[in-house]
Amino acid sequence: MSVDELNPAAMPEPVEDNRGDARWMSQHNRFVQECKDAEPDVLFVGDSMVQLMQQYEVWRELFSPLHALNFGIAGDTTCNVLWRLQNGELQNIRPKVVVVWVGNNNYNHTAEQVAGGIMAIVQLLISQLPQAKVVVLGLLPRGERQNPLRDKNAAVNGFLRSSLARLSAAQFLDVGAGFVHSDGTISTRDMFDFLHLTSSGYWTVAKPLSDLLLQLLEETPEERRASLV
Amino acid sequence: SCGESNPAATPTPCVDTQGDGRWMSLHNRFVANSKDKEPDVLFVGDSLVQLLHQFEVWRNLFSPLHALNFGIGGDATHHVLWRLSNGELDHISPKVVVLWVGTNNHGDSPEQICGGILAIARLISNKLLHAHTLILGLLPRGEYPNPLRDRNTRVNELLQEAIASLPRASYLSVDSGFVQSDGRISHQDMYDYLHLTPQAYQKVCKPLHAAILRLLEKPNEN
Ligand SMILES: [Ca+2]
Repeated sequence: MSVDELNPAAMPEPVEDNRGDARWMSQHNRFVQECKDAEPDVLFVGDSMVQLMQQYEVWRELFSPLHALNFGIAGDTTCNVLWRLQNGELQNIRPKVVVVWVGNNNYNHTAEQVAGGIMAIVQLLISQLPQAKVVVLGLLPRGERQNPLRDKNAAVNGFLRSSLARLSAAQFLDVGAGFVHSDGTISTRDMFDFLHLTSSGYWTVAKPLSDLLLQLLEETPEERRASLV
Repeated sequence: SCGESNPAATPTPCVDTQGDGRWMSLHNRFVANSKDKEPDVLFVGDSLVQLLHQFEVWRNLFSPLHALNFGIGGDATHHVLWRLSNGELDHISPKVVVLWVGTNNHGDSPEQICGGILAIARLISNKLLHAHTLILGLLPRGEYPNPLRDRNTRVNELLQEAIASLPRASYLSVDSGFVQSDGRISHQDMYDYLHLTPQAYQKVCKPLHAAILRLLEKPNEN
């Protein structure tokens, strides 16, 4: 038995519709359908941090032009993203780069488990999309002031950094610099609820990400791209 | 009173189960903000209010009216009731309060949710003697017809019946036909079948902006 099988954060799991409007499954089904209709070069998967980005100008400015699809669902844990990716969201597409941003909602898991859950997503992506590069975004600090979840997210990032260094097809990108001010606070100018990003917060994150994506897309040789079709 | 047996009308702070204290941080910031601002319009409610603040339509239509936004994602009526009873109304005297909350009251009946919204409106009218409260109807949700759509529709019916008994308050539907003829809601309007896209906020905000302007121009109701 591998370590992942013992890690609750690496167990695929759909979201139960305990509210009664089935929104999660509606979104998943839409993403599966989008895979049939679109040919994305870049795929974003994750939670609300991914999802909300699509509602801002920055998405249209920086990522739509790269032929990007956005498969973000608010509240998702690593388990939920794993389930979605194993149940149709990777079928019929051949993105060159996949951006993974998830882990903030794994409240019941330790930092090591969260990192293991993210690594399970990365392994799945590498095995399903052998030609793709994977970019894992580091978890951002959260909460107005210092709190245990900031420490946890920093620990997750530490595990990810060393695990991802061993994989040639994947890399870690820390986009969290500058959000915590010298007095230890996070500003609502960056995170309107001390978790989710404002328009300007997204620009801070998206600029280095966009630079990296352009670089990775350029590195994908045309002939290899042609062979994928 | 009947309010006391209604959980939706019982002021309750949000419990910090996640451990980063964000809800209380936001509440404290709203209280602090209200001390140095003199808003003519106050928005209170849940994520539908909160996210409105993030989009251009806010800067275009509502910032010029000197509006403050006290929206917190996930809030139910009893959370808003707690916030407004604990400082968020103490230092301001807006002319119009826009109230939009109730879709997160999971487990509460339409009657309870309506009672919760009315309790908030009553609190506002007691605390802000010169304000008119504009209660926005709950929007449909979910891609397909589902029990929460029915619940929200029923809340809206009850609100419209009850509104006449409230001083200085009115009801406004901002549903511009989000449910299509096939019964579906489009992700172009609600990206997760609950929260509005910038394009849908434009549709919602047009009648809302017009209603606020009418109220601001109206002579004092007192
Ligand atoms: Ca690597």
